[in-house]
Amino acid sequence: MADNKDQNLDVNYWRSFEELNGDVKSLKLKHDEFHEGVTEDFDPEKNLSGISRRKFLALVGASAALAGAGCSDYREKGEIVAYNKKPEEIVIGKANYYSSTCSSCSLACGILIKTREGRPIKIDGNPDHPINKGKICAKGQASILNLYDPSRYQRPTKGNFGFRNDIDWKTVDKEIKNILTTNDGKEIAIVLHKVNSPTAIKVLEEFKNKYPTLKFYYYDLFDDGAKLSAFRKTHGVAALPVIKFEDAKIILALEGDFLGVDGNKLEQGRKFAERRDVDDTKNFSRVYSVEGNLSITGMNSDYRLRLSPVHQYEFVASLLNELILKRNIGGIALDGVAREVVSSVSLDSFASKHDLDKNVLKSLADDLANHRSDVLVFAGSILNEETHILVNLLNEVLGNSKLFSTTEINENLHEYSSKTEIENLVQSMKNGNVKLLIHFDSNPVYHLSKDFDYENALKNVANTVTLCIEENETAALSNYVLPINHNFESWGDASVRNGLFSLLQPVISPLYDTRQKEAILLHWMNDNVDNFDDKQYLNFLKNNWMTNVYPKINSPLTFDRYWNISLHDGVSQAKNKSQINYQFNRAALNSINKPKVSGNYCLTLTENLNIADGRFANNGWLQELPHPISKVTWDNYAAISHQTGKKINLKINDLVEISVHGKTKIFPVVLQPGLANNFINIELGFGRTHCPVIAADVGVNANHLLSKENFGSSNLYDNVTIKKVDGKGTVVTTQEHHNYDEALIQEAHKKRFIIIEGTVNQYLKDPKFVQTRPRHTLKNINKEHEYKDVKWAMSIDLNKCIGCGDCVVGCNVENNIPIVGKDQVGRGREMQWLRIDRYYSGTPENPKINVQPMLCQHCDQAPCENVCPVVATTHSPDGLNQMIYNRCVGTRYCSNNCPYKVRRFNFFNFRDNLKNSYYEQDSISLLHNPEVTVRSRGVMEKCTFCIQRIMDAREEVTRSGIKLKGTDVKTACQEACNTNAIKFGDMNDLESEINRYRNHDLGYVVLEDTNVRPNVTYIAKLRNSHSEEM
Amino acid sequence: MSIVDYRHELPVVEGRLTARQIEEIIVKPLGEKPDKKYFIALAISLTALGIGAVSVLWLLLKGTGIWGLNQPVGWAFDITNFVFWVGIGHAGTLISAILFLLRQKWRTGIARFAEAMTIFAVMTALIFPILHTGRPWLAGYLMPYPNQHQLWVNFTSPLVWDVFAVSTYFIVSFVFWYVGLIPDFATLRDRATSQLKKILYTVFSLGWRNSHRNWQHYEKAYMLLAGFATPLVLSVHTIVSFDFAVSIIPGWHTTIFPPYFVAGAIFSGFAMVVTVLIFVRKIFNMEEMITMNTLEKMNKIMLATGLMVGYAYSMEFFIAWYSGNPFEQFIFLNRALGPYAWAYWIMVSCNVLSPQLFWFKKIRRSIPAMFVISILINIGMWFERYVIVVSSLHRDYLPSSWGYFVPTIYDFGVLIGSFGLFFTLVILFTKALPVISISEVKAVADNAQPSHHGGNH
Repeated sequence: MADNKDQNLDVNYWRSFEELNGDVKSLKLKHDEFHEGVTEDFDPEKNLSGISRRKFLALVGASAALAGAGCSDYREKGEIVAYNKKPEEIVIGKANYYSSTCSSCSLACGILIKTREGRPIKIDGNPDHPINKGKICAKGQASILNLYDPSRYQRPTKGNFGFRNDIDWKTVDKEIKNILTTNDGKEIAIVLHKVNSPTAIKVLEEFKNKYPTLKFYYYDLFDDGAKLSAFRKTHGVAALPVIKFEDAKIILALEGDFLGVDGNKLEQGRKFAERRDVDDTKNFSRVYSVEGNLSITGMNSDYRLRLSPVHQYEFVASLLNELILKRNIGGIALDGVAREVVSSVSLDSFASKHDLDKNVLKSLADDLANHRSDVLVFAGSILNEETHILVNLLNEVLGNSKLFSTTEINENLHEYSSKTEIENLVQSMKNGNVKLLIHFDSNPVYHLSKDFDYENALKNVANTVTLCIEENETAALSNYVLPINHNFESWGDASVRNGLFSLLQPVISPLYDTRQKEAILLHWMNDNVDNFDDKQYLNFLKNNWMTNVYPKINSPLTFDRYWNISLHDGVSQAKNKSQINYQFNRAALNSINKPKVSGNYCLTLTENLNIADGRFANNGWLQELPHPISKVTWDNYAAISHQTGKKINLKINDLVEISVHGKTKIFPVVLQPGLANNFINIELGFGRTHCPVIAADVGVNANHLLSKENFGSSNLYDNVTIKKVDGKGTVVTTQEHHNYDEALIQEAHKKRFIIIEGTVNQYLKDPKFVQTRPRHTLKNINKEHEYKDVKWAMSIDLNKCIGCGDCVVGCNVENNIPIVGKDQVGRGREMQWLRIDRYYSGTPENPKINVQPMLCQHCDQAPCENVCPVVATTHSPDGLNQMIYNRCVGTRYCSNNCPYKVRRFNFFNFRDNLKNSYYEQDSISLLHNPEVTVRSRGVMEKCTFCIQRIMDAREEVTRSGIKLKGTDVKTACQEACNTNAIKFGDMNDLESEINRYRNHDLGYVVLEDTNVRPNVTYIAKLRNSHSEEM
Repeated sequence: MSIVDYRHELPVVEGRLTARQIEEIIVKPLGEKPDKKYFIALAISLTALGIGAVSVLWLLLKGTGIWGLNQPVGWAFDITNFVFWVGIGHAGTLISAILFLLRQKWRTGIARFAEAMTIFAVMTALIFPILHTGRPWLAGYLMPYPNQHQLWVNFTSPLVWDVFAVSTYFIVSFVFWYVGLIPDFATLRDRATSQLKKILYTVFSLGWRNSHRNWQHYEKAYMLLAGFATPLVLSVHTIVSFDFAVSIIPGWHTTIFPPYFVAGAIFSGFAMVVTVLIFVRKIFNMEEMITMNTLEKMNKIMLATGLMVGYAYSMEFFIAWYSGNPFEQFIFLNRALGPYAWAYWIMVSCNVLSPQLFWFKKIRRSIPAMFVISILINIGMWFERYVIVVSSLHRDYLPSSWGYFVPTIYDFGVLIGSFGLFFTLVILFTKALPVISISEVKAVADNAQPSHHGGNH
């Protein structure tokens, strides 16, 4: 052994003669541990079969590892790095709120933006804002989705008609600066919507000072031009005063939707609801609505008359005749044209001519005559100027000036451009006299009437710049498309009332390579455009506030402190507001020539409450929010009355061709109960052609019908024809999959006590009328559970609920509710946890309408719970019906057994299913509320009473060692409800408001007979009619 | 009309077949190579099964949404198919267990086949409770099994009762069927010529030696199992009906459901057995064992159970009116007059009207007539479940939530697939096992029981 060992250590064995002889090659071989070809580096260029064994194994290992890593659990993707240096203002798991101003429309409501770990996730109203007082509409709430919209432009592009290349901002700046500074006397045009920001106006003014050939063109698809111009003629002021709806005892709405699209619905709705308090029924206001379309206001009115808007002029004149000539009211002696107009009509003959209910008209006339100064006549901005002048006269006759504020007016920072001005612009464009055309976040190619021929003129403009957030029709035809910041990434201010200023502040740094639109102009004013300073606009804003706003406010603070406080509050208001005097100017009455009415159809092109002028067309939440009345989603349509439908032999989803002065377009039909005969209503904002995927193929572009030959107001048309054409539309609704006039189901909602309503007089006479209805109460066979501590309950006041749907969007945003798309809504699979049920009763011609928010009733004896085979839905000790998503296998038995059908099933992974996983893209994940599980496919879900908020409140009180109170929690729908119809709290707290409502004389639960014991109480609706009967 | 001789029992096996002939006829299909017709039949059923498999694959990939279900109709084809197939199974158990206990000798010719159909039908039915869930891969949650999360099933839920009822039913039916097969396996073993068959039959015959002791134990076991299976005939469909009856949905919440469902199940099961046996007896020349008399008796049972379901239909309407419950009244009026009236009237005409033809002896004994009627009954019974499931759900309490169910191609795909699965199993069965119980038929054939009166009595 020892010998062997020695040999092994010392002896150089030779393996071949070459080796023994010291052959170089052989020595090299011996030196290398492995044979050639065994260890060489992998080179894919070489023949792969020459890969060494070692390399092969390495590759196999690597590919296995790669496959393993690539297909691994999604949770392992990327690194999760905690804040190792914690930002001062962020506490993980705690939301921060920043006040700002909404720019979803031009009303500039104050908002509070909720951010979590630096990303905005929810929008609420700013409670300090005097106009919207803590509430914000559906659009404002859903605008958060636009921030994270995956289709947002991410960098500037340049190109022509479809061929677009990315370009960097520096090059853009240089090229535009060159164009701007070329001194050839040609026009620079900026086309823009209404601007409500004083600082933006200042930027625009300075821009004009710098480049004097600049002209501004202001337009909007919906403006109150006719109303404003009438008011200027009658009262000499070009701004409408704020109306005190809360002081009006009688409101007469003439084609006026003050709860919807006319004016600030948040403010007006709140004021309206103030006089719908069931504890103060004597003070109920009475609303008469006379309209052709069925508006939210009409739906909530106590009396409603159908009248085509072209006849409103004559109707107002008839009322004036009744009041002034027949009842001698007002002390205004009419002369001239006015006398002629008024004396030529009478209420009686008008009623017979238009088949109006004479009893209603008589009580209207009586109410007007008896309450005079407490009567408000409100005309919709869609009416023509002549009618508005008559309405102003009617208000003057009634002497109701106390209903119009003299200190608060809706200020306009500029005037809209006239038709002629826009025509001139198009002419200059065609002549090549416009060297630079800037679309300042506007989309005239889509919005403007084809009469203007804007689209063609655009081709003759050498340089078109479109500042926009995402693709639109105008951007598609522009040379430069410059992406701008979303509202939530921007600084800014707004002023829509005299002496009221609000601020916008960014809550997240720009997600993409975008700039704020004002800052772009500001930058182009610099002599040197090499370096963009993103603070420049902030400084400009601050300076403007220092010089222009701060002095007006008369603040005792230093500017810096004042600025910080304003930024914190989001709003700043001058203490002393000047009085504005307006006097009725009778000279205006000379221009009230009677408009000529044809015998043909009348058409109104109105605003869709959800997607506005089309700017929210790519917002899935808003597209899917059902229309408050027709419950149609993802579409617009020609709404006509049942009688008219019968006349032309139309059913829902038939196609009609509508012609307006030579312009035609084909629309699907919806037979809308309650519409005037010979009247068509179509909503605008749909049928976008150049738009991101969500908006694509949604509805028909009714802007094609816009014509110069209107009925005195840009969206009102007379002499319209309608013709049935072959084919079928695809309008889908979330409700009413059955015929309205089937005898078997008429008034089912009343027979089943789903809706209970009465009149104010009936309630005053018999306060217990709701409780004394026929009731069947069942006995329990098992012992009832006792809820000793907090027990959550909700009450919904049907007197205050106007059915707008803001709460639905609030719930969507709070609870990460998926958007399912039109085809799925058509299949009846919408996911909204909260829906607004709308019921018609009476005849299709004159329906009475009730709305009812329907959500999980959190029944004490929930029928869903005992049928779930896997205990995935259970009851909590505080009375909540809970869903355990992880445990749910999706048998849908719970949903089948739910008498309210409020459970929602994930038939697909809806985020994945919609339009090529549009809402499953990265940016969308930032949107989700981190406190709420994003549900997967195959799982049931439903309203949780915002359990995450309850838990949050519970943690808070536990930390401070106090007892949880019902008022500590506000649900998302409650917060969103503008009219405060929704109350939430602890029903075991005997002092609480919720307990009072739960035991209210007018309170009832839906489907009491089933003995499921819901925890949602509805307060029966009272209509303020004259009689005790409905 | 021929005069029936009531002095003698009708022979159960006609043609005075000897024991050997009986054995030959029954065993014949097992020994022969399948012919062209067999492959055509198999190809058709396999195609149907393939359609079902593709639909199911797509279902697993995409989700329940590929079906036409919606809010409020959370169940439609899935549960309709489930109840339909469970119902089909009932005839087998009734024939093999209850008729056995009642000493109905005519059952012997059809018992084996009916039992096999029970098993295949329950297998087919079992697909649906799993596939109808949103997350079928978690269907195991429906089983009570001890786990660290301390999660348990909800014993108040009828779906859990279903799990127990149907799985018990399957196991008992299977064991009963297998025990009945043991003597036949032994016969096959003894006749087998190939080594493989010999080994297989040896294993399955569990060492059967035809000894007295074997027979004594066998008869006891068979009797006990029959006794065990008998209550299942009643319990399974009772519990399936609880899926509906326990809920609070008008049209579902009905106390008549258990007997009504059981009657319906036997009704549809017999129809299915008749449909299939008409072919089997012809193709395999088994007319002498599956006699016209047997078929006529089955038709009589169909007539009787058809009357029972007819009674149930009318009683539902009466109770709806008598209860004074407006929801209940509405749902039944809506069934007969509403959007699903077409389905309701298909159901009534197939289930109540068409069996009335069986009052006529000629029709009872006419193969084409009973084929058409049994098919109609199958259709009608499928629609009965469809009407119950869908028409009750589509318009319940709140008019705002009403909807209408429209099936998609995948709904039909899975329905076709279920028939594919069932018939594939049936077709394979005819070539794999004796479709008639050899030992039992031998026992009831003429001359099988020697007597002093020359064998006829």
